[in-house]
Amino acid sequence: MFLIHCPYCGEREQSEFKAGGEAHIVRPKQPTELSDDQWAEYLFMRKNIKGVQFERWVHTHGCRKWFNMVRDTSNDEIKAIYKMGEKPPTKYK
Amino acid sequence: MLNYSNAITEEMSYSGLQISEVKPIMKLIVRGKKREFLSAVGKSLNLILPAEANTFTKSDKLTALWLSPDEWMIFSNEVSNIDSNDYETENLLNKNIIKTNLGAVTNVTDQFVLINFKGDKIYELFETGSPFNFNDFRKKRGSVTQTILAKIDVIIQHESQNEVNLFVRRSFSQHLFSWMNDSASRL
Repeated sequence: MFLIHCPYCGEREQSEFKAGGEAHIVRPKQPTELSDDQWAEYLFMRKNIKGVQFERWVHTHGCRKWFNMVRDTSNDEIKAIYKMGEKPPTKYK
Repeated sequence: MLNYSNAITEEMSYSGLQISEVKPIMKLIVRGKKREFLSAVGKSLNLILPAEANTFTKSDKLTALWLSPDEWMIFSNEVSNIDSNDYETENLLNKNIIKTNLGAVTNVTDQFVLINFKGDKIYELFETGSPFNFNDFRKKRGSVTQTILAKIDVIIQHESQNEVNLFVRRSFSQHLFSWMNDSASRL
Protein backbone atom coordinates (compact mmCIF):
# COMPACT_ATOMS: atom_id res chain seq x y z
CA MET A 1 0.00 0.00 0.00
CA PHE A 2 1.25 3.47 -0.85
CA LEU A 3 -0.15 6.94 -1.47
CA ILE A 4 -0.31 8.52 -4.90
CA HIS A 5 -0.74 12.24 -5.50
CA CYS A 6 -3.39 12.56 -8.23
CA PRO A 7 -2.64 15.81 -10.12
CA TYR A 8 -6.37 16.65 -9.99
CA CYS A 9 -7.72 15.27 -6.68
CA GLY A 10 -4.69 15.28 -4.40
CA GLU A 11 -3.26 12.48 -2.29
CA ARG A 12 -5.17 9.21 -2.44
CA GLU A 13 -4.60 5.58 -1.58
CA GLN A 14 -3.15 3.35 -4.27
CA SER A 15 -6.22 1.08 -4.39
CA GLU A 16 -8.14 3.93 -6.07
CA PHE A 17 -5.75 3.80 -9.04
CA LYS A 18 -4.88 1.44 -11.85
CA ALA A 19 -1.55 1.20 -13.62
CA GLY A 20 -1.65 1.64 -17.39
CA GLY A 21 1.78 0.42 -18.43
CA GLU A 22 4.76 2.17 -19.89
CA ALA A 23 4.36 5.83 -20.91
CA HIS A 24 5.54 7.77 -23.95
CA ILE A 25 5.26 4.96 -26.47
CA VAL A 26 4.71 6.64 -29.82
CA ARG A 27 2.46 5.00 -32.37
CA PRO A 28 4.29 4.63 -35.70
CA LYS A 29 3.11 7.18 -38.27
CA GLN A 30 2.82 4.64 -41.10
CA PRO A 31 1.82 1.29 -39.55
CA THR A 32 1.21 -0.30 -42.97
CA GLU A 33 4.86 0.14 -43.92
CA LEU A 34 6.15 -1.77 -40.88
CA SER A 35 7.18 -5.40 -40.86
CA ASP A 36 5.35 -7.77 -38.53
CA ASP A 37 8.34 -7.78 -36.20
CA GLN A 38 8.42 -3.98 -36.01
CA TRP A 39 4.68 -3.85 -35.39
CA ALA A 40 4.92 -6.51 -32.67
CA GLU A 41 7.77 -4.54 -31.13
CA TYR A 42 5.55 -1.46 -30.89
CA LEU A 43 2.47 -3.37 -29.76
CA PHE A 44 3.76 -5.86 -27.22
CA MET A 45 7.33 -5.24 -26.16
CA ARG A 46 7.77 -3.25 -22.96
CA LYS A 47 10.94 -2.38 -21.07
CA ASN A 48 9.90 -3.58 -17.60
CA ILE A 49 13.03 -2.18 -16.01
CA LYS A 50 14.16 -2.54 -12.43
CA GLY A 51 14.71 1.07 -11.41
CA VAL A 52 13.25 4.37 -12.58
CA GLN A 53 10.42 3.84 -15.03
CA PHE A 54 7.96 6.20 -16.80
CA GLU A 55 4.41 4.93 -16.44
CA ARG A 56 0.80 5.86 -17.13
CA TRP A 57 -1.72 5.63 -14.31
CA VAL A 58 -5.45 6.32 -14.07
CA HIS A 59 -7.47 7.45 -11.06
CA THR A 60 -10.20 4.87 -11.71
CA HIS A 61 -12.22 5.33 -8.52
CA GLY A 62 -11.84 9.10 -8.42
CA CYS A 63 -11.72 11.65 -11.22
CA ARG A 64 -11.04 8.95 -13.87
CA LYS A 65 -8.22 11.01 -15.41
CA TRP A 66 -5.00 9.60 -16.81
CA PHE A 67 -1.62 10.97 -15.80
CA ASN A 68 2.07 10.06 -15.94
CA MET A 69 4.28 8.90 -13.12
CA VAL A 70 8.01 8.37 -12.70
CA ARG A 71 8.39 5.47 -10.30
CA ASP A 72 11.33 3.46 -9.03
CA THR A 73 10.06 -0.08 -9.51
CA SER A 74 12.61 -1.53 -7.09
CA ASN A 75 11.22 0.28 -4.03
CA ASP A 76 7.95 1.91 -5.24
CA GLU A 77 9.30 5.40 -4.63
CA ILE A 78 7.37 7.93 -6.71
CA LYS A 79 9.84 10.44 -8.16
CA ALA A 80 7.48 12.66 -10.12
CA ILE A 81 3.89 12.96 -11.34
CA TYR A 82 2.83 15.05 -14.32
CA LYS A 83 -0.30 15.44 -16.42
CA MET A 84 -0.90 13.92 -19.82
CA GLY A 85 0.60 16.07 -22.56
CA GLU A 86 3.23 17.59 -20.28
CA LYS A 87 6.91 16.96 -20.95
CA PRO A 88 8.55 14.30 -18.74
CA PRO A 89 11.07 15.61 -16.19
CA THR A 90 14.47 15.35 -17.81
CA LYS A 91 16.50 14.56 -14.71
CA TYR A 92 15.22 10.96 -14.55
CA LYS A 93 15.87 10.11 -18.20
CA MET B 1 -38.60 9.06 -11.62
CA LEU B 2 -40.98 6.52 -13.07
CA ASN B 3 -42.06 3.09 -11.85
CA TYR B 4 -38.91 2.11 -10.05
CA SER B 5 -39.25 0.06 -6.96
CA ASN B 6 -37.28 1.35 -4.02
CA ALA B 7 -33.66 0.32 -4.01
CA ILE B 8 -33.66 0.77 -0.24
CA THR B 9 -36.87 0.09 1.61
CA GLU B 10 -35.95 0.75 5.20
CA GLU B 11 -34.50 3.54 7.28
CA MET B 12 -31.72 2.79 9.68
CA SER B 13 -31.19 4.37 13.03
CA TYR B 14 -28.37 3.79 15.49
CA SER B 15 -27.09 5.96 18.30
CA GLY B 16 -25.42 8.89 16.56
CA LEU B 17 -26.36 7.74 13.09
CA GLN B 18 -29.51 7.89 10.94
CA ILE B 19 -29.43 6.65 7.36
CA SER B 20 -32.21 7.00 4.80
CA GLU B 21 -32.71 7.24 1.06
CA VAL B 22 -33.88 10.58 -0.32
CA LYS B 23 -36.00 10.32 -3.46
CA PRO B 24 -36.87 11.27 -6.08
CA ILE B 25 -34.00 13.69 -6.60
CA MET B 26 -33.13 14.96 -10.05
CA LYS B 27 -29.48 14.25 -10.90
CA LEU B 28 -27.55 15.34 -13.97
CA ILE B 29 -23.97 14.87 -15.09
CA VAL B 30 -22.65 17.78 -17.14
CA ARG B 31 -19.37 17.68 -19.04
CA GLY B 32 -17.54 20.44 -20.86
CA LYS B 33 -14.19 22.19 -21.04
CA LYS B 34 -14.73 25.53 -22.72
CA ARG B 35 -15.07 28.77 -20.81
CA GLU B 36 -18.33 29.42 -22.70
CA PHE B 37 -19.66 26.13 -21.31
CA LEU B 38 -19.06 27.25 -17.72
CA SER B 39 -20.68 30.64 -18.27
CA ALA B 40 -23.64 29.08 -20.15
CA VAL B 41 -24.32 26.67 -17.26
CA GLY B 42 -23.91 29.52 -14.78
CA LYS B 43 -26.36 31.75 -16.61
CA SER B 44 -28.91 28.96 -17.26
CA LEU B 45 -29.09 27.72 -13.69
CA ASN B 46 -27.96 30.73 -11.71
CA LEU B 47 -25.31 28.45 -10.23
CA ILE B 48 -21.55 28.64 -10.70
CA LEU B 49 -19.92 25.25 -11.22
CA PRO B 50 -17.09 24.71 -8.69
CA ALA B 51 -13.68 25.12 -10.32
CA GLU B 52 -11.74 23.97 -7.26
CA ALA B 53 -11.20 20.23 -6.97
CA ASN B 54 -13.22 18.27 -4.38
CA THR B 55 -15.70 21.07 -3.61
CA PHE B 56 -19.36 21.86 -4.27
CA THR B 57 -21.48 24.97 -4.81
CA LYS B 58 -25.09 25.45 -3.89
CA SER B 59 -28.00 27.67 -4.92
CA ASP B 60 -31.58 27.75 -3.63
CA LYS B 61 -32.71 24.88 -5.82
CA LEU B 62 -29.58 23.07 -6.99
CA THR B 63 -26.20 21.76 -5.84
CA ALA B 64 -23.21 21.20 -8.15
CA LEU B 65 -20.50 18.70 -7.19
CA TRP B 66 -17.01 18.71 -8.69
CA LEU B 67 -16.26 15.24 -10.06
CA SER B 68 -13.31 15.86 -12.35
CA PRO B 69 -11.78 18.89 -14.14
CA ASP B 70 -14.41 18.68 -16.89
CA GLU B 71 -17.28 16.89 -15.13
CA TRP B 72 -19.86 17.93 -12.54
CA MET B 73 -22.96 16.43 -10.99
CA ILE B 74 -25.95 18.72 -10.51
CA PHE B 75 -28.80 17.62 -8.28
CA SER B 76 -31.96 19.18 -6.90
CA ASN B 77 -32.10 20.22 -3.26
CA GLU B 78 -35.78 19.36 -2.99
CA VAL B 79 -37.52 16.16 -4.00
CA SER B 80 -39.15 16.33 -7.43
CA ASN B 81 -42.43 15.03 -8.82
CA ILE B 82 -42.60 11.25 -8.49
CA ASP B 83 -44.88 10.79 -11.52
CA SER B 84 -42.80 12.59 -14.09
CA ASN B 85 -39.50 12.19 -15.87
CA ASP B 86 -39.60 15.70 -17.24
CA TYR B 87 -37.08 17.95 -15.55
CA GLU B 88 -37.02 21.68 -16.09
CA THR B 89 -33.28 21.93 -15.39
CA GLU B 90 -32.47 19.23 -17.90
CA ASN B 91 -34.58 20.88 -20.59
CA LEU B 92 -32.88 24.20 -19.92
CA LEU B 93 -29.43 22.66 -20.22
CA ASN B 94 -30.39 20.70 -23.33
CA LYS B 95 -31.33 24.00 -24.94
CA ASN B 96 -28.32 26.00 -23.77
CA ILE B 97 -25.54 23.38 -23.70
CA ILE B 98 -26.29 20.49 -26.04
CA LYS B 99 -27.94 22.40 -28.86
CA THR B 100 -25.12 24.92 -28.88
CA ASN B 101 -22.46 22.15 -28.83
CA LEU B 102 -20.80 23.45 -25.68
CA GLY B 103 -20.81 20.18 -23.74
CA ALA B 104 -22.78 17.11 -22.71
CA VAL B 105 -25.68 16.64 -20.31
CA THR B 106 -26.71 13.19 -19.07
CA ASN B 107 -29.70 12.51 -16.87
CA VAL B 108 -28.58 10.10 -14.14
CA THR B 109 -31.61 10.48 -11.89
CA ASP B 110 -32.38 6.78 -11.96
CA GLN B 111 -28.76 5.66 -12.13
CA PHE B 112 -27.68 7.02 -8.77
CA VAL B 113 -29.30 6.57 -5.39
CA LEU B 114 -28.93 9.37 -2.86
CA ILE B 115 -28.45 8.22 0.72
CA ASN B 116 -28.56 10.82 3.47
CA PHE B 117 -26.62 10.42 6.72
CA LYS B 118 -27.22 12.35 9.90
CA GLY B 119 -25.41 12.09 13.20
CA ASP B 120 -21.96 12.34 14.71
CA LYS B 121 -20.78 8.85 13.82
CA ILE B 122 -20.98 9.16 10.03
CA TYR B 123 -17.25 9.20 9.45
CA GLU B 124 -16.65 6.42 11.95
CA LEU B 125 -18.85 4.29 9.69
CA PHE B 126 -17.05 5.37 6.51
CA GLU B 127 -13.66 4.73 8.06
CA THR B 128 -14.51 1.07 8.55
CA GLY B 129 -14.61 0.50 4.79
CA SER B 130 -12.84 3.25 2.88
CA PRO B 131 -9.17 3.97 2.06
CA PHE B 132 -9.89 7.71 1.97
CA ASN B 133 -8.49 9.97 4.70
CA PHE B 134 -11.52 11.82 6.10
CA ASN B 135 -9.60 13.92 8.66
CA ASP B 136 -9.36 17.10 6.56
CA PHE B 137 -12.49 16.33 4.59
CA ARG B 138 -14.79 16.45 7.62
CA LYS B 139 -13.32 19.74 8.86
CA LYS B 140 -13.53 21.58 5.54
CA ARG B 141 -16.75 23.28 4.47
CA GLY B 142 -18.12 22.31 1.08
CA SER B 143 -16.02 19.23 0.43
CA VAL B 144 -16.80 16.40 -1.96
CA THR B 145 -14.92 13.25 -2.86
CA GLN B 146 -15.22 10.22 -5.05
CA THR B 147 -13.77 7.18 -3.40
CA ILE B 148 -14.41 3.55 -2.49
CA LEU B 149 -16.63 2.37 0.34
CA ALA B 150 -16.82 -1.38 0.90
CA LYS B 151 -15.21 -1.75 -2.57
CA ILE B 152 -18.05 0.21 -4.14
CA ASP B 153 -17.58 3.51 -6.00
CA VAL B 154 -19.32 6.33 -4.16
CA ILE B 155 -19.54 10.11 -4.25
CA ILE B 156 -19.56 11.64 -0.77
CA GLN B 157 -20.69 15.21 -0.11
CA HIS B 158 -20.08 16.89 3.25
CA GLU B 159 -23.34 18.84 3.42
CA SER B 160 -22.86 20.29 6.88
CA GLN B 161 -21.54 19.22 10.22
CA ASN B 162 -23.22 15.92 11.08
CA GLU B 163 -24.94 15.66 7.69
CA VAL B 164 -23.53 13.89 4.64
CA ASN B 165 -24.98 12.89 1.26
CA LEU B 166 -23.73 9.79 -0.50
CA PHE B 167 -24.39 8.82 -4.12
CA VAL B 168 -24.06 5.21 -5.16
CA ARG B 169 -25.04 3.36 -8.32
CA ARG B 170 -28.52 1.86 -8.05
CA SER B 171 -27.36 -1.70 -8.66
CA PHE B 172 -24.88 -1.47 -5.76
CA SER B 173 -27.16 0.40 -3.37
CA GLN B 174 -28.88 -2.54 -1.70
CA HIS B 175 -25.60 -4.31 -1.04
CA LEU B 176 -23.99 -1.13 0.28
CA PHE B 177 -26.98 -0.47 2.51
CA SER B 178 -26.87 -3.93 4.00
CA TRP B 179 -23.10 -3.61 4.51
CA MET B 180 -23.67 -0.29 6.30
CA ASN B 181 -26.36 -1.87 8.44
CA ASP B 182 -23.95 -4.55 9.49
CA SER B 183 -21.02 -2.20 10.02
CA ALA B 184 -23.03 0.45 11.89
CA SER B 185 -24.34 -2.12 14.33
CA ARG B 186 -20.74 -2.65 15.53
CA LEU B 187 -19.74 1.01 15.93
